[in-house]
Amino acid sequence: MRNILYNVFRDVLMNKKQNSRQRNLTLLRLTCAVLAATSFQARAEAIDDARTDATKPEADQSIAATTVGQWTGAWTRGTLLGDMGGLRSGLAQYGINLGLTETSEYLGNVSGGTDKGFVYDGLTTLTLTMDTSKALGLQGGTFNVSAINIHGRNLSELNLSNLQTASGIESDSGTRLWELWYQQSLADNKYDVKVGQQSIDQEFMTSTYSGLFVNTMMGWPAVPSYDLPSGGPAYPMSALGVRLRAHPTDAITVLAGAFAGDPTAVNGGNHNGTGFSLHGGTLWIAEVQYAVNQPALGQLETANNNPDEPPHHSGLPGTYKLGMWYHTASFDDQRNGTDGLSLADPNSNGSPQQHKGNYSIYAVADQLVWERDPDSAQGLAVFGRAMGAPGDRNELSFSFNGGLSLKNPLPGRDNDTAGLGVGYVRVGSGDQGLDRDTANFSGTWYPVRSGETFVEATYQAQVNPWWQIQADVQYVANVGGGIPNPNDTTQKIGNELILGVRTNITF
Amino acid sequence: MALSLFKLLPLSLVAGALLAGPVLAEDVAPGLLPGIHKHVLQTSTVPDNGDQNPYALIIAPVSAGPIQQGDVLYDNFNNAANLQGTGTTIVDFNPTSKKLTTIANLSHELPGCPGGVGLSTAMTMLKSGWIIVGSTPSNDGTTRTKGAGCLIVLNPQGKVAKVLADANINDPWGNMAVKDDGDKATLYVSMAGFGVGSPDGEPPVFNQSTILRINLDIPEGKVPEVTSETVVAGGFGEQADKSVFLVGPTGLALGEGDKLYASDALGNRISEIRDASTRTTSAGVGRTVTKDGLLSRPLAMVMTAEGHLLVTNGLNGKVVEVDPVSGKQLYAQWIDADKAQVPPGNGDLFGIVMHPNGKSFYYVEDDVNTIVLAQ
Repeated sequence: MRNILYNVFRDVLMNKKQNSRQRNLTLLRLTCAVLAATSFQARAEAIDDARTDATKPEADQSIAATTVGQWTGAWTRGTLLGDMGGLRSGLAQYGINLGLTETSEYLGNVSGGTDKGFVYDGLTTLTLTMDTSKALGLQGGTFNVSAINIHGRNLSELNLSNLQTASGIESDSGTRLWELWYQQSLADNKYDVKVGQQSIDQEFMTSTYSGLFVNTMMGWPAVPSYDLPSGGPAYPMSALGVRLRAHPTDAITVLAGAFAGDPTAVNGGNHNGTGFSLHGGTLWIAEVQYAVNQPALGQLETANNNPDEPPHHSGLPGTYKLGMWYHTASFDDQRNGTDGLSLADPNSNGSPQQHKGNYSIYAVADQLVWERDPDSAQGLAVFGRAMGAPGDRNELSFSFNGGLSLKNPLPGRDNDTAGLGVGYVRVGSGDQGLDRDTANFSGTWYPVRSGETFVEATYQAQVNPWWQIQADVQYVANVGGGIPNPNDTTQKIGNELILGVRTNITF
Repeated sequence: MALSLFKLLPLSLVAGALLAGPVLAEDVAPGLLPGIHKHVLQTSTVPDNGDQNPYALIIAPVSAGPIQQGDVLYDNFNNAANLQGTGTTIVDFNPTSKKLTTIANLSHELPGCPGGVGLSTAMTMLKSGWIIVGSTPSNDGTTRTKGAGCLIVLNPQGKVAKVLADANINDPWGNMAVKDDGDKATLYVSMAGFGVGSPDGEPPVFNQSTILRINLDIPEGKVPEVTSETVVAGGFGEQADKSVFLVGPTGLALGEGDKLYASDALGNRISEIRDASTRTTSAGVGRTVTKDGLLSRPLAMVMTAEGHLLVTNGLNGKVVEVDPVSGKQLYAQWIDADKAQVPPGNGDLFGIVMHPNGKSFYYVEDDVNTIVLAQ
């Protein structure tokens, strides 16, 4: 632990891009949580040392109970703040669960990019969830409201100019309402409907195993991030809408929803999340999920009492998803104007041709491919997500990410996870044509964008039940699809090596 | 010709039914689990003080104080901060009104109970109205600071009448098996704390767990008196555990012929202890009734009306039905398929009890603090 902290501090101090005040602020933010956590461990160990050692035979006969206070067992329990002095249990009486998390990270590129250096960024999420059966006597209802505070600086914007941005939490700083919805389950949980302001990256296109990774596109993928207005209703955005979910069989789940088309289509750009936009068309989205080798409630198995037969084990669990979305708004052609000229033509009227509607088809696969034994958490999983959209009206026509996730990778590290992932995006045909036109009309060197690839390796250590530390390395090739470096327009942006550490704390 | 056919048809149907009868009867699989098709959420279990992790689950045999006969009683192992071994509440759930009533909210620092109070799966309510509950306490949520605990005798109003603590009692852990004759009762309790220390690193397995028989006299209107304590079995494995506090023998159930059945979690087997009520010496780990197969760290256990054992698994969300006479495992049913754990339902199923109708059963899902009725 001390070595990790030492290395983090050394990196901070060696960062020449920050002035001393920024450095101090970053140090303060990053280390507050870390040192606070370690002090709890020290405190817990000190308390334990002061007591009788229970490992001695029958010493526990003489152990005395001590008062259980706010900080008792702070190191071993599930949340750093426990009952919060009675707040959580008080809210629980009304069926309300309070969640508070912090994700902080220190990321930087040591090679490539438009600039070099490390920056801090973080995300605080406050969530209140109410079980209406306890609060109001209304069975099957859940009310959820959440707010987020994004702090720090955005490495991808500052230094990288990459398409597949380095961190899923980096965004414009500020505090905003995130989600605000009510969900009602029906017919013995066979159906449920969710109404309100929703961030659909929480339910659609999700991958069980990709969530480990730090890169943005391992969360909400690149195609909807670039091709939907304002990136679609996904973190840090959300949109008003209705979502239906059905479980026609134990193995099949169907999701379908309709959402306001542009979360930012309100005065002021909806910076605080309370704009509740209903403008910008409608986003329709549907997804079918198929679960394999996953137990269903009530599933009966018959015993094999023949000792000569090997025990029967069902196959390894996996989930496969197929979905599509359709957006009703008009979308700009990426190459041609309404006058039939290329938008790169100096004679162009600058008004893009319009396409009615936009759409994408996607597929997601999560599959455990190896496990030590059926009752073990140790296992290796593969995942992959691929999606496409028309290239004439979208910046990206294809995106893919996939990888491996290994749980319990080292002896005694049951809850750690190691991962190796890759991501690829392809720039749409319209934009590629525009690049060619730009080169032709300008008569100078101008690269035609193609694809961008990144590889990510990460290791997430579960320090205790409420604290994770994650080391991360990313390498980005053909940055931005091959765009010129703004610092030297005769060169493409150099491939980037990104290093970082992230910590997650559940308060 | 047509007339005779009409006459023959009913006769042939009756004859066919008679012939088919025994065949169909043989085709109908015995046991409880094939008839279980619904799993109905009964209640969230968190009482007003925020205690979590429901463990023991019993049915009130009589009405006494605020408790109605047929009510479901449960205790909580964790406090509001979700620290194991610090829960102090016993709660009554009325299945008709769906109302929760906190029967007892004990002090963690209960005098006379080494290490204090952290209520375990060992609990019973006697016909005389007395409640007896086990404490497997901790000061920090782990076995590092665990005490030996005690058995606590309470009246139906939840007032502590007596604390039982002695050298035979070290972390009363598993669900109790009870023979209750009104003025006398025999309790069987597994003790899973002997020698167990810190969960750090790779904690060793101690084969020191015991099953203690406690004979009680229950004079009319007086607090039960212990007349004898006998270790009837011992040598079961027990081990500190970071996530589930400790692993040890958890389920006990009495069967025909004075046999006591125990779920040996680490041995992954069901053991049989003969002459349970009369033996004066330990039977060791007893005779293995069944082992491995569908079992995966067997935990809570209960006897069905048919004489089968229902055993919950600790490492997945299944309940296993076992015929203890033949030693055959019959079925397993997923009663907790929650994918939040790997494997689903891992470590959730600590409490199980038969419904008074004998056809269905209640169980706890301790990770989400709920009681479910399987019917």
